[in-house]
Amino acid sequence: MLQNKTFTALLFCLLLSLTSCKKEVKPIPENKQDFAKTTFKYAEGFAITHNENFKVLTINNPWPKAEKTYKYALVQKNMLSKITLNKDEFDGIITIPIEKIVVTSTTHIPALELLEVEETLVGFPGTDYVSSLKTRTRIDTESIRELGKNEGINTEVLLELQPDVVIGYGIDGNNKTFETIKKSGIPVIYNGDWVEKSALAKAEWIKFFGVLYNKEKVANTIFDSIEKNYQEAKDIAAKVENQPTVLSGAMHKDTWYLPNGTSAEAQILKDANVNYLYSETTGSGSLALNFESVFEKAAHADLWLSPSYYTSMEALEKANAHYTKFDAFKNKKIYTFSTTTGKTGGVLYYELGTARPDIILKDIIKICHPELLPEYTPYFFKPLK
Amino acid sequence: MSETATYRNSYLVLILVLIACFFANISLGSVSIPLDEIFNSLINSAKNESWQYIIQNYRLPKAFTAILVGSGLGISGLLMQTLFRNPLAGPFVLGITSGASLGVALVILGAGVFGGFFASLLISKWTIVIAASLGSFLVLLAVLIVSSKVKDTMAILIIGLMFGSITSAVVSVLSYFSSAEQLQQYIFWGFGSLGNLSWNELAIFFIIYCFGILLSILSIKGLNTLLLGENYAKSLGLNIKQSRLLIIIATSLLAGTITAFAGPIAFIGLAVPHLTRQIFNTANHKILLPAVFLFGAIVMLICDSIAQLPASDYTLPINAITSLIGAPVVIWLLVRKRKMVF
Repeated sequence: MLQNKTFTALLFCLLLSLTSCKKEVKPIPENKQDFAKTTFKYAEGFAITHNENFKVLTINNPWPKAEKTYKYALVQKNMLSKITLNKDEFDGIITIPIEKIVVTSTTHIPALELLEVEETLVGFPGTDYVSSLKTRTRIDTESIRELGKNEGINTEVLLELQPDVVIGYGIDGNNKTFETIKKSGIPVIYNGDWVEKSALAKAEWIKFFGVLYNKEKVANTIFDSIEKNYQEAKDIAAKVENQPTVLSGAMHKDTWYLPNGTSAEAQILKDANVNYLYSETTGSGSLALNFESVFEKAAHADLWLSPSYYTSMEALEKANAHYTKFDAFKNKKIYTFSTTTGKTGGVLYYELGTARPDIILKDIIKICHPELLPEYTPYFFKPLK
Repeated sequence: MSETATYRNSYLVLILVLIACFFANISLGSVSIPLDEIFNSLINSAKNESWQYIIQNYRLPKAFTAILVGSGLGISGLLMQTLFRNPLAGPFVLGITSGASLGVALVILGAGVFGGFFASLLISKWTIVIAASLGSFLVLLAVLIVSSKVKDTMAILIIGLMFGSITSAVVSVLSYFSSAEQLQQYIFWGFGSLGNLSWNELAIFFIIYCFGILLSILSIKGLNTLLLGENYAKSLGLNIKQSRLLIIIATSLLAGTITAFAGPIAFIGLAVPHLTRQIFNTANHKILLPAVFLFGAIVMLICDSIAQLPASDYTLPINAITSLIGAPVVIWLLVRKRKMVF
């Protein structure tokens, strides 16, 4: 125990000396007004408690059925010398505001941009997937390092970058790369936005980034405006009586995958006041149905949204002739987000969709009830050509 | 009385079972369709348009595919087991299935690695069929070249297995550099699928299959002689090299096209010949070959009916069912008979 404390003290001294050496790093303005309490309306996966000298960020549900909660101490840079923390109590001790960050999912990037802290991003695995113009420019000017493909992060490059924190995500707790990074002294926080059950809860994870940058108030304001936009769109859609029937997904071999009724996607469809044919289904993960049952139920559906990764009617037809028998195919009423991509091919919906459910909702309202938003042009969803 | 006549009744029973399984297969599915409507759908006069489409364009081609896949894989397994005098042989061992997998992996996963040209190929389902056939053909060609140099059939068997290892290594490298969607596509191909063929595709499948069956029939005499051992076969005046070539081409035609159209289907090729031998207690291929044909078709139809999980909206990968249902049956038969008839 004594050894641990000595080690912690030493580590702090070291950290302090390191940070004091970094005078060239542009400090992020610390706006006093931003130290507001973080409250949550929808998100269940994380919590922030304010102690006297530091904040504690708790991640309750980083992946489905996670058994452990992760606790991180967030210490203000100017408080570092004044407090002593027991390292064993936390999964990481992080100095805030963050000056150098590595995120691992494109869904994390819009949060950084909305908070205007995108210049702190120093590395990303799979930079080709990033589409947003601001970050793309920084990648092109090599301000952001490529960290490798898929989830296999190049540990050497990461260690060289020495970020203050790595924002990871995991499908379970067994990510060896993250373990190596943690061992080298760089804290890894698991972001569980994708586990949240509703679109607004996913979007609320901007507050998670807010606290890391002392920008809680800004994060709250951004989220409130997204929520307001969402609610307004929902209220507009609620007024119409006509509910077009909607089919979704596509087949892989002879199994048709589509979102279940309790998924965030289905909830957006419900809020857009459409009749999603599988809204009554429940469960975790997507539905995997037999072709014939989908055909019997949805052959006459008015609209077909997100037919997997297919980007043209021709591709759909070539993949399986059965698709052509659906009314939505015959009437060319198929809409996809797969064709809205960035310069290097990343699908924008995957990147920005989590942070901006209000745009998704408006897109769907425009497609399903065009008369409600006459001036609006869908951002993610385009008709399949 | 000839040996064939002894088994006439058994054949008759098997044919009746096959017909029953065929009708059971097309009447069972996620959508419950009354029996009379099934017959109406077959003659184009069902009340419900979707039912007619489901029967005519989904269940019927699927049932025929099951028959072709089951019988074809069974026969190619029988041919391999006799050729190599090894009860563990099947279409997988010659590297035929591995070759097909490599072809498919190159097209699906290669798009991620090589981009451009490969990515443009992906749009057509035919690309996968052609890639799989080409892959198995190339591996077969390699095996044939080796077999002309190597006299020992065991060595060919091992070389086939080695091709399998090389293939899986290449697939691993390709997988590592591929996107999630590409991996998903490849994995789904690996699950196998019977319900994905249109009538046109089925017609092409059937033509190649017929060639394979024809060559298998032509190799019956050679197979029977090979059972006595290669040296003895030689002393009887059999051209070993020619017979071996005929058998290998027949197998690769059958297994190669089946893998191309329906994915790598496990278990059937290995187990159906054993199941047949347990019931038809003979080593004569004149008897065994048609029996394996019927047995393979029946087993596949049953497996497909189970995989469709009748009356539920769900369906299971056919590859899992063939092993889950089939392997315990073989174990049970072997334990009961206490020996392997071979």
